[in-house]
Amino acid sequence: MTQSTTMPAIEICDVTYAYHTPWSKARQASSEYASVRGLDDRGQQVLGTPATVLQSITLNVSQGERLGILGPNGGGKSTLLKLILGLLSLDGSPTRHGEIRVLGMTPNAARRKRVIGYVPQKVEAEMAFPISARGVVELAIAQGVPFWKRVPQASRYLVSNALDVVGASAYADKPIGTLSGGQVQRVMVARALACTPRILLLDEPMVGIDPAGQRHFAELIDRVNKATGVTVIVVSHDIRTVVAGCDRIACLSRTLHSHTSAQGLTPGVLAEVFRHDVSAIFGDVHVDAHAAAACKDPSHAHEHSHAHAYAETCPVAQLEISPGLGQTRGREVGSSGGQSSSGAP
Amino acid sequence: MNTWSYFADPEMLGILLPCVVAGLASAFLCALLSVFVVIKRLAFVGQGISHAAFGGIGVAALVASFLGAAGGTALGSAMGTGAGVSLAQYAIVFVFCLAAALMVGVLARKGGVEADTAIGIILVASMALGSILVYVSRSTIKWESFLFGNLLEVGWLDAWIAIGITVAISCTLYVVRRPIIFWTFDENASRAWGVPARTMQILLMVMLALATVTVMKLAGVVLATAMLVLPGAIALRLSRRMSIVIVWAVVAAVVGVLGGIVASFEAGFPLGATIVCVLTVLFAIACGVERVRGNR
Repeated sequence: MTQSTTMPAIEICDVTYAYHTPWSKARQASSEYASVRGLDDRGQQVLGTPATVLQSITLNVSQGERLGILGPNGGGKSTLLKLILGLLSLDGSPTRHGEIRVLGMTPNAARRKRVIGYVPQKVEAEMAFPISARGVVELAIAQGVPFWKRVPQASRYLVSNALDVVGASAYADKPIGTLSGGQVQRVMVARALACTPRILLLDEPMVGIDPAGQRHFAELIDRVNKATGVTVIVVSHDIRTVVAGCDRIACLSRTLHSHTSAQGLTPGVLAEVFRHDVSAIFGDVHVDAHAAAACKDPSHAHEHSHAHAYAETCPVAQLEISPGLGQTRGREVGSSGGQSSSGAP
Repeated sequence: MNTWSYFADPEMLGILLPCVVAGLASAFLCALLSVFVVIKRLAFVGQGISHAAFGGIGVAALVASFLGAAGGTALGSAMGTGAGVSLAQYAIVFVFCLAAALMVGVLARKGGVEADTAIGIILVASMALGSILVYVSRSTIKWESFLFGNLLEVGWLDAWIAIGITVAISCTLYVVRRPIIFWTFDENASRAWGVPARTMQILLMVMLALATVTVMKLAGVVLATAMLVLPGAIALRLSRRMSIVIVWAVVAAVVGVLGGIVASFEAGFPLGATIVCVLTVLFAIACGVERVRGNR
C-alpha cells in the first residue's frame, strides 16, 4: 500500500439513507412525520414510511487504502456506492441525514472531476455491442471531449497504458463479446483507470469469474494499487472477493461494522451481517465459534488437508449452518498457511 | 422493364421521384437508429411506437372532421382522398407516437408493469382508439394504406420532411455520438461517467417517433417497424466494429428500399410489403454469411 496523505479519500459521516415507499410521500406530506426508520417492533416495513437502507453510517477511507465492503444482497452496498458516485443524493432521501465528502469535494463535484473510477458488474453491459476492448476504454476517456474535437493523442496513450497495466494489451483489439469473463473485467478496470482516477470503486467484480480468474483479478488489483497508489474499494456479497488483498474490511447490512484486518471478521459479526439470508430458512441463528486447531468434528477433517489460496493474507472465519439444530456454527481460522479453511477457490 | 419505362416518362417521374427520395432519406435515417434499437433490444418499442401512430391518425381524422374544409383542408384531404398530407397531420401523429413512447417508459418505471407488457397495452390501446376515432369522424381513410403505405400519396412535401428529419437526426446523433454509444453499451456505468442516461433514453424515443412518422407515410407502419429493426440486425451479423456496422446498416436499408421499389414496379406488389420482403431476404443472406465466416 502506498503512503497515505492527510486528506481522506472518502469521508462518510453519520449517513442515514431511506427510499420512499408507496404512500410514504403522501404520508410525509399530509401528517406529522416523526419516524424515519420505517420498521415496526418486529422489523417489518410499515406501510407509508420510507424504507431505511443505510443507518448511521460513518466511515473514513484513507488515500491509497484498499477497503473491502462485505454484505448480503439488499444490505445497502449498491446504495452506498451510488451515494459515493453521486448517482444518489442525500437530499433525495426523506431522512436528509449525514454528509459524504470525496477528496474534500461533494460526490457530484468529484464525479465531474473524474476522480472516481468505477467498475460495474459485468453482466450489465451489452456484450453484443460491436466494439473492441480498446474501444470500450476509449469510450470512457472520450466523454469529456467536446463533440467537435477528436480525442487527443495523449488520451489514446492513456488508453494503451491502462490496457497495459491490467495486462489486456494482447486482446485489446478483439471484440468485447468474444472475451472471457476475467478478460472483460480487466478491460473494465482499464476503462476505470484510463481517466487516471484517485479512487477505484469495484462493484461485485468477481461475479461470473472462475476461481483461478478470481485469484488473478485479486493480484491485478493489488498490482494496480501498488503501481498507481489509487484508493481501492471493493463491494461484494462474496467473502472471498472482499478479503482478497484488502487492508481493511467493513461489513454492511444497513448498519456498518468496520475492521482493520480480516481477523476482525468474527463469526459473530458475519452471522449478524448475513443473518437475514438464513433466518428465513433456519429461524433465528446464533454463533458457536471454535478455533480450527481445536476442531473435534471428524466431518471437518478434510477441510484442513489442503491449502487455502488466501489463507496467509486473509484468515477468515467460516460459518456453517446446521439445519437440524437451527444454528450457525463458525470456526475461526488461524493465520498460518497450514491451518486453512475450506473456502479455497 | 416497368421501372425503366416509369422513370423515362417525365410525367411518371414527377410522381415517382418524391417517393424514391423520401425512401432513401428514410432508409438512411432508420439505418442509423436501427443499430441502437437492436442493441438496446428496443425492437418491440419501435413496433409499439409505429402502431401507436394509428391513434394519432384517429386524432388527426377527428380534428379534420371538426375543422372541416375551412380550417383543415389539407388534413381533410389527406385523410379522405389520399391526395396530400399536411404538416398538421404529421405533427399530430408525431406527438401521439412520442406520447405513447414516453407513456411506455412511465408505465414500465412507475406503473409496476414489465416493459413489454406496457408496450403491448399502449399498442392495442392506441390502435383501438384510432379505430374508434376514425369511425366517429366518419373519415374515409383506407387502413391498408397506413399498414403497407401508398406510393401515390408520397409527394414532395413528404420528401422534404423526410430529408429534413433525416438531416436533423443525423446531426443530433453526431453531436451526442459519444454519450449515446456509451449509454447503449453500458447504461449503468455510463451514469458514473456523467452521461445523462434519462436524457439519452428520451432522445432516442423522440428520434424513434420522428422516424416512425417519416416512414409511415412512405410505406406504412409495418415497414416502419421493419426499417427500425432489420438494417441493424443485418449489419450486426456482418461486422463487430461500430463504424462498419453503421455503414452496413445504411447499405442494407438503401438496397432494401431501392430493391423494394423496383420489385414493386415490376411485379405490381404493394410497396411497403415488398421492401419488407427484400430486407428479410437480405437478413437471411447476412445470417448465411455469418455462418460461413463462423465469426460468432
